[in-house]
Amino acid sequence: MIKRYAFVVNKLPYKAETTRLALTHAIASQTAEIHLEDGQGVEPVIAFIGEGVLNCLKNQKALDIYGVTSQEMHLKNALLLDLKVLVCKEDLERFGLSQDDIVMDAEELGAEVTTQVVPFDDIMKEIETADQVLYF
Amino acid sequence: MGKLTIGCFSSLVGSLTLDFAVKLAEAAIKKGHEVDFWLSGNATMLAKKNQSKFRDYSHLAETIKELLGTGRFQITMCEACGKARGIQEEDVMEGFQIYSMDWYLASIYNADRLVHIGGE
Amino acid sequence: MKLAVFVHEYREPEVLDRLKAEKLGIILVQNGVYHATVKKDGQPSPILSRNAEFYALSEDLATRGFSDDKVDPKVKVLNYDGLVDLIFNDYEKILWL
Repeated sequence: MIKRYAFVVNKLPYKAETTRLALTHAIASQTAEIHLEDGQGVEPVIAFIGEGVLNCLKNQKALDIYGVTSQEMHLKNALLLDLKVLVCKEDLERFGLSQDDIVMDAEELGAEVTTQVVPFDDIMKEIETADQVLYF
Repeated sequence: MGKLTIGCFSSLVGSLTLDFAVKLAEAAIKKGHEVDFWLSGNATMLAKKNQSKFRDYSHLAETIKELLGTGRFQITMCEACGKARGIQEEDVMEGFQIYSMDWYLASIYNADRLVHIGGE
Repeated sequence: MKLAVFVHEYREPEVLDRLKAEKLGIILVQNGVYHATVKKDGQPSPILSRNAEFYALSEDLATRGFSDDKVDPKVKVLNYDGLVDLIFNDYEKILWL
């Protein structure tokens, strides 16, 4: 049985480690089955809400400047691994942002899935229906 | 009785958040539940052995030792988070496990309840 | 969904406006207990006007100098033991906001 985990990211990046750990933990779901029984697995969905949507901005230079992987790179890795990535539409709009400003795909890495910009109600449904919720 | 998984990402010293998480674990164990405890980010500091006990700083080592003694408590440090802070296998208190992040996700899989404290 | 949220700071998490649950519990811990005890300009914390069940952790109240009789009547005071029971018996999902 595959269980769905919702990783909900509501905080700003870089000043604290928490949003980075949200992404690295979500990506780690790909190998959770090594600790589980046959047939068991974990399917993550990552949802960015509130100020957390600012993790998704393009052109982050954290690696060049501070030598740490950017949230943008983690997000692209998540897309490459076919993880479901949702970004709250209302929150993007509150910050005057659009799909053009955020990481929507990782085509250059060969990723096939894309980020989905969705109303908060859709994210709330994910929280309701997920087997577990991890709020960052 | 059920299984509670607690993930804590907050530092040992400074906010009492890790103290909260450990007290919650302690109460759950006393009630007969099973607890898996995951340390990630700055919470990995809890795993380090030889911490001195001063009253101005949180000190949880003795409580953890008692909880481990019940046989219904597991505590695991995130390997990368610990190593990034210079905490190697030989630096860790007896009874602590070290795994990568997927261990936490697997623990959650069959947890009856999850308290995930995502850090500051 | 029966959802319990931990409020651990003396500010109201914005996301509270948006969470929808069949049963919502707000558990005041750490600095969140000031919502249950302090009146600013004579008014109780706006968080207490929400449609939710309220709980405050007695150990965190006492740590900050509050006895249980200083707690707003809307708020049920519980200790760590009670918190464990609440988590296992009354709510399905728990978020630390």
